[in-house]
Amino acid sequence: MKRLVPFAFALIFAALPAWAAKIYVQPAEGALARALEGANAGDEIILAPGRYAGPVVIEFPLTLTGSVGSVIDGGGKGSVVTVNAPDVTLQTLTIVNSGRVHQPIDAGITLTQKARGARVLGNYLHDNLVGIDIHGARNALIKGNRIEGLQLKRMNDRGNGIYVWNAPGSVVEDNEIRYGRDGIFSNSSKRNVYRGNLMRDLRFAVHYMYTNDSEIVANISIGNHLGFAMMYSDRIVARDNISISDRDYGVMLNYTNQSDIFSNQVIGGAEKCAFVYNAHRNLLAENRFEGCDIGIHFTAGSERNTVTGNAFIGNRTQVKYVGTRDVEWSFDGRGNFWSDHPSFDLNGDARADSIYRPNDLMDHILWSQPAAKLLIGAPAVQLVRWSQEQFPATAPGGVIDSHPLIAAPDLAVPQDILLLVPATPLWATGASDDDAAHFKLN
Amino acid sequence: MSDQDKKGLSRRGFMGATATGAALLGGAGGRLGLLGGAAAVTAATSTASWAQSGDHASPAPGELDEYYGFWSSGQAGEMRILGIPSMRELMRVPVFNRCSATGWGQTNESIKILTQDMMPETKEYLAAQGKKVHDNGDLHHVHMSFTEGKYDGRFLFMNDKANTRVARIRCDVMKPDKIIDIPNAKAIHGLRPQKWPRTNYVFANGEDEVPMVNDGRILDEPEKYVNFFTAVNADEMTVAWQVMVSGNLDNTDADYEGKWAFSTSYNSEMGMTLPEMMEAEMDHVVIFNIAEIEAGIAAGDYIELNGVKVLDGRKGQNKQYTRYVPIPNSPHGINMAPDKKHLCVAGKLSPTVSVLDVTKFDSLFEDDMIDPRSVVVAEPELGLGPLHTCFDGKGNCFTTLFLDSQVVMWNIEDAIRQYNGEDVDPIRTKKDVHYQPGHNSTTMGETLEADGKWYLSMNKFSKDRFLNVGPLKPENEQLFALNGTEMELIHDGPTFAEPHDSILVHRSVVNPVNVWDRNDPMWADARAQAEADGVDIDDYQDSVIRDGNKVRVYMSSQAPEFSLPSFTVKQGDEVTVYVTNLDDIDDLTHGFTLNNHGVAMEVGPQATASVTFTAAKPGVYWYYCQWFCHALHMEMRGRMFVEPKNG
Repeated sequence: MKRLVPFAFALIFAALPAWAAKIYVQPAEGALARALEGANAGDEIILAPGRYAGPVVIEFPLTLTGSVGSVIDGGGKGSVVTVNAPDVTLQTLTIVNSGRVHQPIDAGITLTQKARGARVLGNYLHDNLVGIDIHGARNALIKGNRIEGLQLKRMNDRGNGIYVWNAPGSVVEDNEIRYGRDGIFSNSSKRNVYRGNLMRDLRFAVHYMYTNDSEIVANISIGNHLGFAMMYSDRIVARDNISISDRDYGVMLNYTNQSDIFSNQVIGGAEKCAFVYNAHRNLLAENRFEGCDIGIHFTAGSERNTVTGNAFIGNRTQVKYVGTRDVEWSFDGRGNFWSDHPSFDLNGDARADSIYRPNDLMDHILWSQPAAKLLIGAPAVQLVRWSQEQFPATAPGGVIDSHPLIAAPDLAVPQDILLLVPATPLWATGASDDDAAHFKLN
Repeated sequence: MSDQDKKGLSRRGFMGATATGAALLGGAGGRLGLLGGAAAVTAATSTASWAQSGDHASPAPGELDEYYGFWSSGQAGEMRILGIPSMRELMRVPVFNRCSATGWGQTNESIKILTQDMMPETKEYLAAQGKKVHDNGDLHHVHMSFTEGKYDGRFLFMNDKANTRVARIRCDVMKPDKIIDIPNAKAIHGLRPQKWPRTNYVFANGEDEVPMVNDGRILDEPEKYVNFFTAVNADEMTVAWQVMVSGNLDNTDADYEGKWAFSTSYNSEMGMTLPEMMEAEMDHVVIFNIAEIEAGIAAGDYIELNGVKVLDGRKGQNKQYTRYVPIPNSPHGINMAPDKKHLCVAGKLSPTVSVLDVTKFDSLFEDDMIDPRSVVVAEPELGLGPLHTCFDGKGNCFTTLFLDSQVVMWNIEDAIRQYNGEDVDPIRTKKDVHYQPGHNSTTMGETLEADGKWYLSMNKFSKDRFLNVGPLKPENEQLFALNGTEMELIHDGPTFAEPHDSILVHRSVVNPVNVWDRNDPMWADARAQAEADGVDIDDYQDSVIRDGNKVRVYMSSQAPEFSLPSFTVKQGDEVTVYVTNLDDIDDLTHGFTLNNHGVAMEVGPQATASVTFTAAKPGVYWYYCQWFCHALHMEMRGRMFVEPKNG
């Protein structure tokens, strides 16, 4: 079986079906495009070290494999590799230099609606506008890729790391995404899994809208403008995610309903650890919200949420509740841990002996005068709280935890993750270094 | 935080401060400064004094507001007038809706306005329903006529998205005088008057994509659909021209030089399903070149569709009528700044507002090689879900953030500097609103006289903000006092369905009359008929004219009497009752309600109104004045005798 593939030779392996071949390609002008044209369905094209010119389009099922030192260079025009056929595998490739135009969504890899079941594994993508655009490809697997986006100072001129549109069943896991705009942007899709991705120095780690019945699990967001924005979606599971040093919010639920949000950790720096807005019938459990200006901002008539087992630790304001309804934040006798709750557990039931009502006067004193924490059990503080109880606020509504915990749930950020956290996040320094094209520096 | 919340917290703060102070003075904690903390709480929860006094004081009972607010009402179909800053609702003006109180949609005068510019196909459709007029509308945007970039107090213009109409209200009497069907386009959404040199045109966006000729021969072939941008001749209230565009049309605005109109499109994809509409990373703004369009009309470069001259401004037509500027990502609001230069386009699904420099638009028409994005001079990241922007006239913008449920105040020049690489933050302040704001307004903010005194946020939900009135809740409009970069929430204002947009107009611009002019054209038909019948409707009148089976009843009303204590007709007669209110006193409106006949109308001081019905039931029926007028208001009534057909 011999085909006209200049600068390439084909080997047939007996173990493979008769039609599957391994095609080794050497770098030369147009070599990759010719190899793709000449290959048959099921072939594996293997790139020898060297540069290959894109953009290229894959029109039938095959595997494209890179080797150390092989680079596909889009030449700054369009998407570098476009997959327009089902069951294509792209692996261990280095893909660079897509176009910079947003309207066609120029990307390192574009998976069109025909690219069902695409497997994008272990590739390194940099200097592309968008890393990987899953543009309608169902059941794709995007795993173990490293994506470095542009560092243009104009954040909005950058592209998203992984752009998901209308790709039911696709899985995005164990990728490392840095720079660029949003880490994972998911819009109008369903039944997706976003798992184990590391996202740093972006606008939003996960920018997520109208993607029902999906999982966001064990992702890590460090130093982004916003960690996990999950909006307008039903029946999602967000668990074991970590947000560190994000700027605005760690976890945002906006009209996210009937979802399980648990075992997530937001630590340090954000304006709001959690922002729950017009979100209903969710479980918020066993999360750790620590060191933010506001522990949780809970508002817009969010109702029928179960809030239990969370730890609110050292936030300047533990709870910002805006509403006129009364809300009980415990479930089945199990409330939350509040670092500012001055109480004892004399009967040893692991519950504080007094209820916790956030936003009382002591909250304000404790964040404005941190030294006062030393006094939490002191008579002066007890007297303030006692007198408030005797003369309750006239404003209707509020949060009450009738069964506050006396210990925080056992959650910790792994040491290797902590080592990735810079002393000053990029968003605070405004650093960027791809701007030569935009700014003539005098 | 609502005033209500503040009251509670203040009381709590007071209690706390007292107790803490007492405890600490007697204890060892004084050095920790707990008193300072308590004092800070009290300060932080009381309203800033500037917002309650002087220039920002709300008018007391009996005092007048400084501004008019003209409000849309969405699916209620009417326009509303509020006083600002009191947020007192002053009036409801029926436009597209059927109004029980005023008889709008029933009186001959209103039916004439509603039908005289109706397309034949609409009339046929309504006849098939046994109706003459639509009784619903969806009124989103109210805007006043301009002269040289300033409100001139002549007219208000507004759209009907539900039934594709544009209406004009006369500001002297605050009643509509023109309501026109817009042919070809479907679902007029965005609407703005030309600002400069005066409102010669009213620009109106068709939101829904349909076949160019929508006669049923093309149905599910979206690739053949188009959208129409319409310019209405504002003086004549006729369609001046339309431009076909690629993508749909959402909101629109016009510049302060009279050169451009521009519209956002959230469906540049021409998608028909939600995922398809969300597919593109960027949609666009369409720029309309008014001079080129007028030249195209003069040169005959148009087709005629349903009597309208239609130009082709779609992409790829290589014409000079339009240009398309890519904007992230499903843009919605589009607002021209009073600096005459900057156009703010809200990104909706992008957390950015794109600022376009309109003085650069000429270059896009002169050279096709120029990147359309070169007119973008700033694109600040402001927060989630930016929808609409308004201005303080001092270089600052206020953008509503639907998802963050906030308003963000930001500075245009700083946003431009940031875009050019400087390390500046354009954001001045952010305030929570309750809940989820759509449109917003500043006093005089859409004119060259933007004064930056009050800011209004029109919120889509009130949720638990007010006493529960059942499953259907009011919306919530919130008024903020502005003081430089300080914003202070003054009022929550619940409203019935469903205001979208408003303009806040200084009272010096608006000068309505107190009583009607007897020569008003509103009842010109009645006057002509009365002259033919030899009746002087400007004087006391009590004539009943029979004309075959038509009976015309002319009566005047003067509190507390109708001139006719009774009149007689025959069963089956078509009866028209003309009522002229001869009272000429402030606020002395009469009415005419005919018992058990579904007939009721308003007759303003010195106005004539008429209503036509068939006297289908024999018997005695009382008519009465339903608009309170006099101590003997109850006695202001009379009888209609209907003689049986075979009697």
